[in-house]
Amino acid sequence: MSATTAAAGGGSLRPWLLLAPLLVFLAAFFLVPLAQVAVMSVSDPEWGLEHYVAIATDGFHLRVLLDTFITALTVSLCCLVLGFPLAYAMAAAPQGLAAAMMVVVTMSFWTSFLVRTYAWMVLLGNRGPIARFVEWMGFASPELLFTRFSSTVAMTHILLPYMVLSLYGVLKRIEPALPRSAASLGATPAGVIRHVVLPLAAPGIANGLTLVFVLCLGFYVTPILIGSPREQMVAGVIGQQVEEFLAFGEASAMAMLLLASTLVILGLYHRRFGLDRLWG
Amino acid sequence: MASQVFSRRAALTLGGGIVAGLAAPYFRRVRAAEVLHVNTWGGIWERAAIKNLFEPFTKDTGVEIRPVSPVSFAKLAQQVRSGAYEFDVTTLGAGEIIRANQANLVEKLDNTDLVKNPPFAGAAFQNGASSHAFATVIAYQKSKYPNGGPQSWADFWDLQKFPGSRCMQRYASRILPIALAADGVPADKLYPLDLNRAFRSLDKIKPAVRVWWTQGQQSQQLLRDGEIDCIALWHARTLELIDQNQPVEIVWNQAEIERAYWVVARGTPNRDNALRFIESALKPERVAGFCKDSLNGPLNPAAFNFVSEAEAARMPTAPAYKDKVFEQDILNFGGDVNAATQRFERWIGT
Amino acid sequence: MRLALLLLGALVLAFVAAPLFIVVPMSFSTAVSLEFPPPGWWTGYYTAYFNDARWTTPTLNSLGIALAVSVLTVLLVTPATFALVRHRFAGKGVVNLLMMLPLAVPHIVMAIGYYAFLADVRLLQTFPGIILAHTALSVPMAFLVLSANLKGFDRTLERAALSLGASPAATFRHVTLPVLWPGFAAAALFAFVQSFDETVVALFISGRDTETLPRRMFDSIRTQADPVIAVVSTLLFLAVAALVIVPVLWRALSRRRSEARP
Repeated sequence: MSATTAAAGGGSLRPWLLLAPLLVFLAAFFLVPLAQVAVMSVSDPEWGLEHYVAIATDGFHLRVLLDTFITALTVSLCCLVLGFPLAYAMAAAPQGLAAAMMVVVTMSFWTSFLVRTYAWMVLLGNRGPIARFVEWMGFASPELLFTRFSSTVAMTHILLPYMVLSLYGVLKRIEPALPRSAASLGATPAGVIRHVVLPLAAPGIANGLTLVFVLCLGFYVTPILIGSPREQMVAGVIGQQVEEFLAFGEASAMAMLLLASTLVILGLYHRRFGLDRLWG
Repeated sequence: MASQVFSRRAALTLGGGIVAGLAAPYFRRVRAAEVLHVNTWGGIWERAAIKNLFEPFTKDTGVEIRPVSPVSFAKLAQQVRSGAYEFDVTTLGAGEIIRANQANLVEKLDNTDLVKNPPFAGAAFQNGASSHAFATVIAYQKSKYPNGGPQSWADFWDLQKFPGSRCMQRYASRILPIALAADGVPADKLYPLDLNRAFRSLDKIKPAVRVWWTQGQQSQQLLRDGEIDCIALWHARTLELIDQNQPVEIVWNQAEIERAYWVVARGTPNRDNALRFIESALKPERVAGFCKDSLNGPLNPAAFNFVSEAEAARMPTAPAYKDKVFEQDILNFGGDVNAATQRFERWIGT
Repeated sequence: MRLALLLLGALVLAFVAAPLFIVVPMSFSTAVSLEFPPPGWWTGYYTAYFNDARWTTPTLNSLGIALAVSVLTVLLVTPATFALVRHRFAGKGVVNLLMMLPLAVPHIVMAIGYYAFLADVRLLQTFPGIILAHTALSVPMAFLVLSANLKGFDRTLERAALSLGASPAATFRHVTLPVLWPGFAAAALFAFVQSFDETVVALFISGRDTETLPRRMFDSIRTQADPVIAVVSTLLFLAVAALVIVPVLWRALSRRRSEARP
């Protein structure tokens, strides 16, 4: 610590000089565009709070917001339910196997959203393997694509790696001896998981849920391509207002609400755990 | 070390200069060649346009034409607002040309020959050049309805008699009249549209509509992959699938005829060439060739001199269909097209 | 219970890997659109991809943009990270928060912001516009990677060099930089991938002559959904596999080599 202060002894101006290029850049090419959204929400086409009033009263926008929250919640829970066993298996597996599993998860993580959305289009499509299998079993071909189901599956798949990596981080750190000693003290396997593993994994679970929920709230591409036209997400409606009608004011007001929801959730996480750890 | 750097920089500058000098005439030549960007619907439509409209124009004028897709009314609006042009020319349907004029998105044709000295009656309409007619028809999977599928819009709406998924275009001014026809309004009483009744009619079919298509190729893909059972789509796209031996049936009864218009994006730097292009695109032999290949119906009557009877029979303008089809009457729409579109989009989303 | 969890874990792993088993065969399919299993096999869609300027141009555009973004991001983030990791000053918390903010704001919000902003400054649908936007969005990840590296850096090395009379600049060049270069490389790589994959903002601010690969893919999925998308996806898989597997193998190999040494 003293070394740090010693190095900083060159004067308090030095860090600001080092920071200056980035701060100027972010101010000009991040904060200004962001502020423009805020301004447009009350100034386009004319000054006033009309868009916010409309959102609060016209029923349509609140429904879309609610739908989006429900979808985000569903996807987060699906990710947790699927991600936990996988992360657990990875933490328990011998080193080589765990590394191989990690490669699969990381590859999925790095693969473009679009590629994975396309893969789900093929998988769930009427000429896809699942429909073929169902038909082969003698049932009528199911209509999977363009439903809430298809977009939920695809978004769960896309966001699952975030959950797995969050959980793996904490599960790996749990002493292998701890569950074993609990078991030797007479706890059932289910009891060990509930009373020992889960509480210790709680920060990872909160981390994963927050990440997935926040990312899902703003999802644009996947619901548009394979979701149901009747259950749009906020981002899709925002995009459409701009693209189809150039209604920047209305779109910006919705965007501000989306941003506010995101920041509130991140703020809650920050107070409890500290934001630095979220993307650790 | 310093001298080394300097000599390297000098070498780079010298090298760069030589390259630039050698390349200069080439670049000048590229810049001199004028380019026009035309928005196309892709697929069969684009191939027909390139062969019959773009290439002849380039041969006449030396102006290169590059196709840009997908088609999007929104892009037209965006580029006029932002000044960054993706295309100079596009085609609009009847509903869109009204919206485009309201929002002042297209160049005025007042001083062109199309208005002052029209090649045929109705060559110019709402600052658009009348190109061709196309139809929105019913198509269905033969395997799904072996005893025959829906034969009218009322059938298309009848989910008891013809169970199965539906699909229509995400295009308010084209779908609302169809919704009224399905509700029993006779073809000659459609306009002005009773919008509330149209939306009530649409409510009935909404649960069965799995997708609203936006691109011609998308509608074909959905039909080809069997993703939907019944669809309202363009006749040309359906005929193309049938020609490819897809198990699809086309229903001409109650086909909705609409006209397509070439327009020039307002404020484009290539305005003059764009206007020249849309005038050339109405020439009888060109629009005839384009319509033959894209399976549309030419609006220039003189074009029929270049079309055989057999070819004309496949066009939506064919006499055989005259009593079955109805045409859009956009000037008599019955409300503000833009507001109806907004309402339609919101209706889809709930 | 434990076994059930492990089995479930294996199933989930299959779920995670599923797209790979779809997309790669799909790229060799003769299908016109989404049919699977493929009705026949060929490499025609690979030829189509490499010979169609409507695919190759966006690919090159995206590569160029991502390269510029990674360089610009590292240049901007490096000094800032040094300031934040090595100095204590008033306002540090706020600066830290600001640098993380691009990660917290949904991309659709920034998309309409950039759309309006870049149109105002006449940079809409230009390469500089896309590069500037993508750089701002890449700052947080690059910062996280670089600061993690910098925190793990043993500063006694620098102090030793300084005490031996090396100038601060020389110390940075001959001590700090060589040790930290994997950190720079990782930060640049993160920025590169972030930009190369970025879809939502690019959909709104790229244009005809500056089309990016994700935008082209989005349009293609929405229109004909032909297997060329599977070809692109397979090529992207290969690139990702190289990025993920090569370091793992390299680490494993070097470990074995060092263990083999007596």
